[in-house]
Amino acid sequence: MAILTAPAGKASPRGVRTSPAVRKLAALTLVAAVLVPLAAARWASGTWPEALTVDVSGPLGGASDWIIDNRDSHPLFLHFLGHVSNAVVLSVRAVYLALLAVGWAGVTGVAALIAWRAAGVRLALGTALAFLACGLLGMWVPTMQTLALMVVAVAASVLVGVLLGLAAGLSDRMDRVLRPVLDTMQVLPAFAYLLPVVLVFGIGVPAAVLATVVYAAPPMARLTALGLRGADKEVLEAVESLGTTARQRLLTARIPLARKELLLGLNQTIMMALSMAVIASVIGAGGLGDRVYQALASVDVGAALAAGIPIVLLAVVLDRVTGAAGARLGQAPVPHARALWAGALAAAAAVAVAGRLTDRLEWPDGWVVGIAEPVNRAVDWMTDHLYSGVPVVGGTADWAGRFTTWVLDPLRDGLQWLPWWSVLLAVAALAWVIGTWRTALTAVSAMAAIGVLGVWNASLDTLSQVLAAVAVTLVIGFATGVAAARSDRVERLLRPVLDVFQTMPQFVYLIPVVALFGVGRAPAVAAAIVYALPAVVRITAQGLRQVDPAALEAARSLGATSGQQLRQVQLPLARRALLLAVNQGVVLVLAVVIIGGLVGGGALGYDVVLGLAQGDLATGLVAGAAIVCLGLTLDRVTQPTGRRTRKGA
Amino acid sequence: MTTTGTPATDTPVFAVHGLWKVFGPKAGRVPGDPRLADLDPAALRARTGCTAAVRDVSFDVRKGEVFVVMGLSGSGKSTLVRCLTRLIEPTAGTIAIDGEDVRAMDRARLRTLRRHRAAMVFQHFGLLPHRTVLDNVAYGLEIQGMGRGERREKAAEVVAKVGLEGMEQRRPAQLSGGQRQRVGLARALAVDPEVLLFDEPFSALDPLIRRDMQEEVIRLHREEGRTMVFITHDLQEALKLGDRIALMRDGRVVQLGTPEEIVGSPADDYVRAFVRDVPREQVLTVRTAMRPPLSSEEAATGPGVSPDATVSEAIEAVSRAGTSARVLDRGKCVGVVDAGALLDVVAGASATTADARADRAVPAPRREPAPPTATTSEEPV
Repeated sequence: MAILTAPAGKASPRGVRTSPAVRKLAALTLVAAVLVPLAAARWASGTWPEALTVDVSGPLGGASDWIIDNRDSHPLFLHFLGHVSNAVVLSVRAVYLALLAVGWAGVTGVAALIAWRAAGVRLALGTALAFLACGLLGMWVPTMQTLALMVVAVAASVLVGVLLGLAAGLSDRMDRVLRPVLDTMQVLPAFAYLLPVVLVFGIGVPAAVLATVVYAAPPMARLTALGLRGADKEVLEAVESLGTTARQRLLTARIPLARKELLLGLNQTIMMALSMAVIASVIGAGGLGDRVYQALASVDVGAALAAGIPIVLLAVVLDRVTGAAGARLGQAPVPHARALWAGALAAAAAVAVAGRLTDRLEWPDGWVVGIAEPVNRAVDWMTDHLYSGVPVVGGTADWAGRFTTWVLDPLRDGLQWLPWWSVLLAVAALAWVIGTWRTALTAVSAMAAIGVLGVWNASLDTLSQVLAAVAVTLVIGFATGVAAARSDRVERLLRPVLDVFQTMPQFVYLIPVVALFGVGRAPAVAAAIVYALPAVVRITAQGLRQVDPAALEAARSLGATSGQQLRQVQLPLARRALLLAVNQGVVLVLAVVIIGGLVGGGALGYDVVLGLAQGDLATGLVAGAAIVCLGLTLDRVTQPTGRRTRKGA
Repeated sequence: MTTTGTPATDTPVFAVHGLWKVFGPKAGRVPGDPRLADLDPAALRARTGCTAAVRDVSFDVRKGEVFVVMGLSGSGKSTLVRCLTRLIEPTAGTIAIDGEDVRAMDRARLRTLRRHRAAMVFQHFGLLPHRTVLDNVAYGLEIQGMGRGERREKAAEVVAKVGLEGMEQRRPAQLSGGQRQRVGLARALAVDPEVLLFDEPFSALDPLIRRDMQEEVIRLHREEGRTMVFITHDLQEALKLGDRIALMRDGRVVQLGTPEEIVGSPADDYVRAFVRDVPREQVLTVRTAMRPPLSSEEAATGPGVSPDATVSEAIEAVSRAGTSARVLDRGKCVGVVDAGALLDVVAGASATTADARADRAVPAPRREPAPPTATTSEEPV
């Protein structure tokens, strides 16, 4: 902010004085100059002052107790929430029993046939193999539990999402109301949703399903609205010119025209539902996530991997099949489509009946390959040989330790040492320079709310992990992205890796980092980096590749070297994409750093887990609220004016 | 085109009077306020923040004619054609279709109008990408509630009429631009409308395809005699297709008349500049250049040409015969054209054309662009 006092030089008088960033910073300095001395004099200047915190744990605990006491008697629960809860339990149970009744052969067959009709022969084979692998790993029953929960949650998410999307797509007013809410929901870490539903429904399947719906419905709603709004204006005009009623327009034109977005929404909803269904194991979801959670709790990497692999397989299959169905749109339909569908269904039914008749519904025990033992032996070997004392490079545990000592600790201590008002000022400055005064106001209010809630230090701990992870992510991500943008070969090599990494649920990333680095803050940061990297690489590479070829050609024709092209044309023109990459990187890193509470990441994530584990909902809720605030702050300080669909697209 | 220019005594298909379309805040006050209505576009925008896309436009579209609205982009022609069926709601003025007030129609009546009486063809086709060609063509009929079998049968006929047999099951994405526009045309024709509205239908097409499509429209008009309102920015296209042309600039009609009048006697410098490069001999008819026969001998000999023949056709006849040519109307000699007069037309001399113009049943407006009613039916709307 020293620029302000410096007199505008004669060389560039206009540039400095009229640059909006400088003007905003000047205004901010003025405000700060008045307010900071006042605040510092009134309250202390170090960490967030006691006088400014409000202890909400009392009322929250009271509310939680009241809900627990009244869950069986209050009309709100009896006549509404109780029914919701029962309906969820019943439908999940029904789907689960149906899946078991069809038997492993039947489920595999039906899944493969759906994949075949929707996406072709190769994906059908892949689907069948994936399901068989789940059985081989001894995870058939947990897989079916997760699948049952997913089916119900996805159905509900799609229903809710489409309804909200229709409202936002057809009414401008609804759009203005819903859009900021949906946008914000998309940037919040999954953990933030757990506590409120637990507060209302208690730990169990209903809470898990509802948390999943709340987490997975927004992309469906957003993309439905986007599709309805993005329809070709002239087509709609043509349709109107033929004298359609509003209903006819919606059914015959607007919805069909939005099919691509609807399918993309379905894809994203499914992926986010899977991600959440796994995380929701901490609030009683059962299934694969629960196996991973239990295994991680006892640092049993082998068991975690055995449950983690089915999750990844499920994710890849679901993503590829729905994605391929979307890509097939617009192609000429296959003749006799109905007959083929009927044949496929009949074949699936035959397989299921055959399984029933031969009494082979359950996955045979003899076919299970136990991988937990060998994996654990391998991990033990790694612990002995790779953790520390490797000549020259050092061991993985050494790295983690050094990273914690030399990066995470100083960063955390530095942040916590900073006067509280200077943190607020920094947030305000960043958010205002990048965005508008509104985003700055939101960001500062959210950050201040963290202080008021009394979790300032824990939040700064989380923030330090996020900053460290984001820095590493951006360095590696931009470098890889630039490489991928400049070389087709690098891009070809990277694409399948990115595809797989981008489809994996957040939870799964914890398994390998625990195997490599043990538990602690460093593994949480490592998982966050690995999780956020693919999105950053992809957005960077796409942004650079989409730079106007004419501008690039013009630069080349003037004799620019490739380095000059990159610095002077590609990077400036891809500025929006780079900002978006930063934003996405921050949001994704935060999500995993929070989940890192499960593997010793401490801070806010740990508070949530602790609150759940000990039934101390007040602590958990405060931490959850702080996560929401931190998510808002981080999103707003990195938010360029526009915004796109997030990960999984 | 063949429609004669006799003033229609029957009700015009479209009668538009004093039509305004103003975009912007409180648009309604602009047409009524003479101080605002007379401002030029830039001043109006500065004063009110409004843009007047259509300003006080009046014209009639007669039954069976091809009425072309021509102007550069931004002149308001596309807005004008959308106002006709209220795809864009006009700000002020009256529109009548067959004497029925369009602006007073409720939703149901308006839908009936769009379903049965006026169908539109769009610049970028506006086809539904998820439907086959046949179902796109049948779409208008489906909207009307016609059963699947019947509408497909009817659509198949129209598909054949526009020359797309064998492509019924394709999707729009599998067609070329010209073929897509044929689908758009077929969709409009399928509902058997009284008027076809074309909004720059061929602008997005290659020149050669464009010429094919123009021929197609001419053929359709010749076969069915359907009334057409045709929007274009292409002068050649306007002259080729139009029985009458309304030339628009900044939302106003600056001249309304036959192609011959537009080219032969431009109303102002703008129109003059516009038509400067048009080969006049291909647009102007021999009426422009003829004089009364000097002698009975001259009225009895020489090659005969029709009064509607173009000057270039007459030049061919005169140069082949080596004498002046007679203009024969139903076998009767109504005048004579000689080489000198024909050359005057090509050269752009206007002495004779001015006289000839006075004889015409429908005189073109000279100065004022505003009163096109003078050129059209005088009947009340």
